Amino acid sequence: MIPIENFLVLAALLFAIGFYGVLARRSAILILMSVELMLAAVAINFIAFATYMDHDAFSGLIFALFVITVAAAEVGLALGVVLRLFRERRTANVDAANSLKW
Amino acid sequence: MFDRLPLPSQFDRTIVAGGTVAGLAGGPILVVLLGLMIAGTISVAEMVFYLAAAVVLAGALGAVLIKNIVHASLALIATLLGVAGIYLLLLTEFLALVQILVYGGGVIILLLFALMMTNAQDDPIVQDGTQKPFAFGVAALIGGVFIAALLDAQWGSPTAAVVPFRDFGMRLFRDFSVPVIIVAILLDIAFTGAFVNARRAEAEDGEGRS
Repeated sequence: MIPIENFLVLAALLFAIGFYGVLARRSAILILMSVELMLAAVAINFIAFATYMDHDAFSGLIFALFVITVAAAEVGLALGVVLRLFRERRTANVDAANSLKW
Repeated sequence: MFDRLPLPSQFDRTIVAGGTVAGLAGGPILVVLLGLMIAGTISVAEMVFYLAAAVVLAGALGAVLIKNIVHASLALIATLLGVAGIYLLLLTEFLALVQILVYGGGVIILLLFALMMTNAQDDPIVQDGTQKPFAFGVAALIGGVFIAALLDAQWGSPTAAVVPFRDFGMRLFRDFSVPVIIVAILLDIAFTGAFVNARRAEAEDGEGRS
């Protein structure tokens, strides 16, 4: 039996890597990919706690399913916005979207 | 017969280089893990876990660090399939299947299409921002705090249990039926919005912007 700490440490490392990507990348699509990494880390945590500590209710599994669904919706909508940004500005970098900067 | 072979393209050279790096890095890890398993220090499940974790973390580092945007998205595929393997080790086959279907089939295809429709053809090499050291510091701080906190906590020794499909479906569609409906409406709105957004951009491109 694998100890639960292994999964939690893996999820923490994955979350930190995704966070670095969100801060360091400039292309909007790569930032979205890093957000996917962070969401996957959170889903691993939910499932680990559900299967190890919540045998009767297993709400974490349901929440992980919702996380996956909402992530799919977010990617679809955000990529539409990125395509729009690319047509307006000829680039997909997030620092090109500065119309609200005063 | 050798003149029929195609010349090595840039893509072939990339594959050869990536395979060499993966073999050089993964070989010693595999040997050490096999040795530990034969010596009885770790079980078979733990060895599979370490292999899947290595795939997940290496793919994540690749997705975050590689400069070529297409190669970074290929590394993301490795990560997401490795996460499906982690779900299997957590005894949830259903979520592993959903992960492969939704991410491997849907999200990755969407991302690759968006890459191709933006700047992947002309300029696949991206330059990252100037705040890399700051980003590294914050990420290391967050990861360090998480790991220190969860290694400090007392987890006891809980055991994993398989959730049967029937119980999972009963819980999802009976106890959580209203959230399921709300998520369905959310998906509908999101994809309608994405479609309308992209289509309006097409129309503006066709007419020429005023």
